[in-house]
Amino acid sequence: MKMNHNRPEWYIARSLRVLIGQRKDLRWVVLWLGGLSGVWLWDTFFLNPLAYELIRSAIANTFYGALAAVALSLSIGWALGIALHFLEERKSRGPHLALIFMMSLLRSIPQIVGLLIGYILLTWMIGQGILQSHASQILWMAFVISLFCSLEVIDLVTERIAYFRTLDYFHAMLCCGMKESRIINVDILWKSSRSHFLHKLVSLFGVAILLQCSIDFIVSVGLSSDVSLSNFPVTLGSLLAKLDSKQDILAMGSMVLDISYLPRILFQHLQGVTVAFVLVFTLVCIYQIADGLMKYYDL
Amino acid sequence: MSVLSYDISISKHNRSLVQIENFRLEENHITFLFGESGIGKSLIAKAVYGLLPPEELQISLNGEPYVEYCERNHTQEIQRNSFFVFQEPSTHLDPLLTLGAQVEEGTLPQKLRASGILERLWNTSDQELLDKILGVYPKPYRPSGGEKQRFLLVMAFLKIDLLLEQMDDHARTMFVFDEPSGSLDNHFRDVFLSFLLEKFEKRKFTTLLITHDYSIISAVRKADPNILKDISYKELSLGRKGLTLTDFMPDNYLKWLHGQKPLRMFFEAPLSPQPLLRVASGMEVFGRRLVLTNMRAWNKQSALEIHPYSMVYLKAPSGVGKTTFAKAIMGLLPARNLRVALKNLTLTEQTPRNIWRTRVWGKRMTITFQHADEALNQQSTVRGTLSGLPRHTMTEQEILQLMAEVFDCEIDDRFLRTKVRYLSGGQKQKLNLIRSLVLDTNILILDEPFNGLDFRSIVQVLDILKERQKAGKGILLISHNEEIFDAVVNPEQVYYISAVPISQEKKTASV
Repeated sequence: MKMNHNRPEWYIARSLRVLIGQRKDLRWVVLWLGGLSGVWLWDTFFLNPLAYELIRSAIANTFYGALAAVALSLSIGWALGIALHFLEERKSRGPHLALIFMMSLLRSIPQIVGLLIGYILLTWMIGQGILQSHASQILWMAFVISLFCSLEVIDLVTERIAYFRTLDYFHAMLCCGMKESRIINVDILWKSSRSHFLHKLVSLFGVAILLQCSIDFIVSVGLSSDVSLSNFPVTLGSLLAKLDSKQDILAMGSMVLDISYLPRILFQHLQGVTVAFVLVFTLVCIYQIADGLMKYYDL
Repeated sequence: MSVLSYDISISKHNRSLVQIENFRLEENHITFLFGESGIGKSLIAKAVYGLLPPEELQISLNGEPYVEYCERNHTQEIQRNSFFVFQEPSTHLDPLLTLGAQVEEGTLPQKLRASGILERLWNTSDQELLDKILGVYPKPYRPSGGEKQRFLLVMAFLKIDLLLEQMDDHARTMFVFDEPSGSLDNHFRDVFLSFLLEKFEKRKFTTLLITHDYSIISAVRKADPNILKDISYKELSLGRKGLTLTDFMPDNYLKWLHGQKPLRMFFEAPLSPQPLLRVASGMEVFGRRLVLTNMRAWNKQSALEIHPYSMVYLKAPSGVGKTTFAKAIMGLLPARNLRVALKNLTLTEQTPRNIWRTRVWGKRMTITFQHADEALNQQSTVRGTLSGLPRHTMTEQEILQLMAEVFDCEIDDRFLRTKVRYLSGGQKQKLNLIRSLVLDTNILILDEPFNGLDFRSIVQVLDILKERQKAGKGILLISHNEEIFDAVVNPEQVYYISAVPISQEKKTASV
């Protein structure tokens, strides 16, 4: 069949082909979405409905939590970065030092320990009946994760402001009577640093998934006599910690000794294999996307 | 006389960078190429010389692939016999080799032969000083920009001397000087030009000299009339139809220049006893005292005063501190002994930043920085560059009218949405000026306002500045382009700035 080169679809398809061919980040986005779709299709056909539903919820909750953590990190980081700049600029020593102290304190706490404290608070709140819905529980954990991730955003904000303040365009805009807050928020951070933020947020998305799943795996032993993993929304980490998922993953070890075991892994141990695959594959893809963005934008 | 003609097309990632037909160069002629910055003059010169990387760019020259063009005997002969002086000398000198070692590199002859050229371009016979320069590694701040530029010129003259020795009148040449006077003051620029013309008189060679400095025309006109017939002036311009090369009539520039008169000569403005701006001489910045003098009293310091209806010109060789001075009076640099009086407002180094922000910047005084590339946000659009300005500025309609006047074209939505980084250097400079002009402040400081502009734009911008002056504004001009400003500014309004190291001053005082 002859292609009609005048049709807009042809141009769109061609542009996409060229774009994906040239950009590593887009290539990996397509690969990631393709991989997840492939797993979803496979599971639709071969995974039992109960496990399928569990995996669907785990993926949805994990990604929702990670996205919320990224959004909160950006908001907190941006706001505190700006606050830090203006407190220093206006020589407000006390509040500036207090903010620096708080940030240093957060930096000194290992992230996992910080998240464990977050879970303890979550357990207490569930016990008190404060956070009942799964959505609000995920949001709480996303907030705790974002407290640690936002430090990186603050660093980025202050670094970008410090860099642009040395350039003439900052002074040129000031001398034209533009408000400093506008120059910083619109010109420096929005117009001139979007690619840096995009790269940082993609990386933080990966960090948030890793942290969320690591902590869920750790707390799978339970947190109190009243609150256990079953009270929390299911995530890829908590699903991985389930006994049947662990057995599925152990089954992969059998495949090393006996390759004929492979079909059973793909059809009978799908729950654990899917969780492990989605986790590892997502983290690899995010790493590659971030790397591609860094190269594309020459960061 | 044969004419070299080139059809050049250069693109990157399918985006056209340069597209020009019939770019003509007369062989064994000196061609001065003018034109606004950023439209592709350097790229064209590099393409013709065979210097562009064919693996990174899609280049076609006279319809043939660039690799083939570079391999042609004609191109290789040019490269063998000639020299390319790059616009930015810092990036073209090896920081790990002394300047003396770099003079002996490649096809360049031995150092000893360079000493005569060095003496000429440094205007000195002090061998100790010249040896010192040859022993220097070209680090960012040493030698100075002017010295680096002169060093590349030394290399070019060495190649010219080699050519003169060859006694081969048919050897093909193409010496390219890309903005050779960009970092030179007028004195050293004239030294270079006279030396070049001297060599040219001995043996004609093809020379392409790219510049924005129209005042070079007056300097060249002083040369021997026998040489003048071998000198041509061309202008590259970017219009709606793309790049075009036209002959530039030097008489047009000279006629315009001689027709310029200081505004006060024919416009009797009511002189207010109180100046709009008064800056005391003697501020201390970066370990130097900046001293101001004026023709009214050469032997003593004088405060810089800008009255309504006046245009003041601040002069100094490059590197003395004109821009530093401007930044200091705008409160952008920490300066000791800063005394700035703006009618009923006195500003010193102790003045809180908040005062500058609320009462000075964009309200009473503004500045246009010299490098538009650095002064504008490249990621912003044309519209975005002009948004966020204080509310007392012009209406949108008035801004569009001013833009149409400065850009000399109709301003449509597409242009307003164009990103600054896609504008040519000249367009960026115009946008840079417009951003200050729309504020309509009483004091307007312009640092090298004609940087990167073509002659037509210079005339337009100067007309707008005169209009502002007639409207009662005070304008402070900072530039090394003395010829034009000397013509339009009243001699009494010309100030000279000199820098005295404070350590030296203290030593003298103690003695």
